[in-house]
Amino acid sequence: MFLTRSEYDRGVNTFSPEGRLFQVEYAIEAIKLGSTAIGVATSEGVVLAVEKRVTSPLLEPSSIQKVAEIDEHIGCAMSGLTADAKTLIDHARAETQSHRFSYNEPMPLESCTQSLCDLALQFGEDDDEGGGGGMSRPFGVALLIAGWDREAGPVLYHTDPSGTYVKYRCMAIGSGSEGALTALQEHFKPEMTLAEAEVLALSTLKQVMEEKVTATNVDIAKVAKNYHLYNQDEVEAVIARL
Amino acid sequence: MQADMKALHKMFMSRNVTYQHSHGRPMSCPATAQLLSNTLYHRRFFPFYTFNICAGLDEEGRGAVYTYDAIGSYERTGYSCQGSGKDLMQPVLDNQLKAASPLVLPPRNSVTELPLEQAVDLVKDAFVSAGERDIYTGDNVEILIITKDGIKREELELKRD
Repeated sequence: MFLTRSEYDRGVNTFSPEGRLFQVEYAIEAIKLGSTAIGVATSEGVVLAVEKRVTSPLLEPSSIQKVAEIDEHIGCAMSGLTADAKTLIDHARAETQSHRFSYNEPMPLESCTQSLCDLALQFGEDDDEGGGGGMSRPFGVALLIAGWDREAGPVLYHTDPSGTYVKYRCMAIGSGSEGALTALQEHFKPEMTLAEAEVLALSTLKQVMEEKVTATNVDIAKVAKNYHLYNQDEVEAVIARL
Repeated sequence: MQADMKALHKMFMSRNVTYQHSHGRPMSCPATAQLLSNTLYHRRFFPFYTFNICAGLDEEGRGAVYTYDAIGSYERTGYSCQGSGKDLMQPVLDNQLKAASPLVLPPRNSVTELPLEQAVDLVKDAFVSAGERDIYTGDNVEILIITKDGIKREELELKRD
């Protein structure tokens, strides 16, 4: 496989003769190694559920952060190289705050996603171009951006290292994404309540996780007008409803 | 000042188009109001020589009037006036409409809420009165009536002396 891809997989600025950018494709591959994250959008709000891989009993599970708040009305789950997500999230936080400063209103979700994708696409640029300071490679992370839009209501976007974003009603990323998507397609109903979505997201996660689901190895967050990360008790309450 | 007014208008026209391109919808009145405040404060030490009111409909579809000082301090009110005739007109409006406390719930634009036609008549009367005593007010008044169906423009002739 790697022999046939020869020299074209080295630079991010060179298309292969078949018209592919291998570095971007490899970055997308990197996400398939990451922990699973699931997003479910309903008319009442959006639920994000993520797996936290607790690789050692010596590890402090609360220090693994896979869901983050971008603004009051936007939350985000990540999979892949989560360190890269830090850069993206910092950028999105600055953008949403600057929008509030300029217009005294929450930033529309699509604009926020667009600005993240603009950043994700700067990997091909030199130091002097744009304000990115020059990136050597694409980001190795995919995001599920959940938010509450003033006009559109609850929305869920998926972004990947190629800088593409698509709106979903239901989406999964990470190592268990394939299995999770099959399960979601089967069980997702557009008229679901938020409570049903919590159960769907967590039960799907349970199916694709290797370990048993506990309150320490999953994170759940919702955006029902406002972002809220579930505490241990709230997660346990959802687990009890499975 | 005419030049500053033109410059400010032109800038807002283009900011509005840019906003629509990046956010896919027109800039709301409250958003425009905040942007105007920022724009004015940006010129804190060499202000735009303009006296501003920003008016339109808010997210709930209610009328909104925002009034400013020279460097961007602003407030949402039910009615306001700016310019050379302001000292003559504001007391007339206060007398006829009475400012509602911003603490009153549900929020109201004024204690005496007028139907559209009467409000337009009040505006016309106020301008005619101002035109009598303020030497800088005269010739013509341009009235914009902003409703959910769009903006209607009316013109009122004042004394031409």
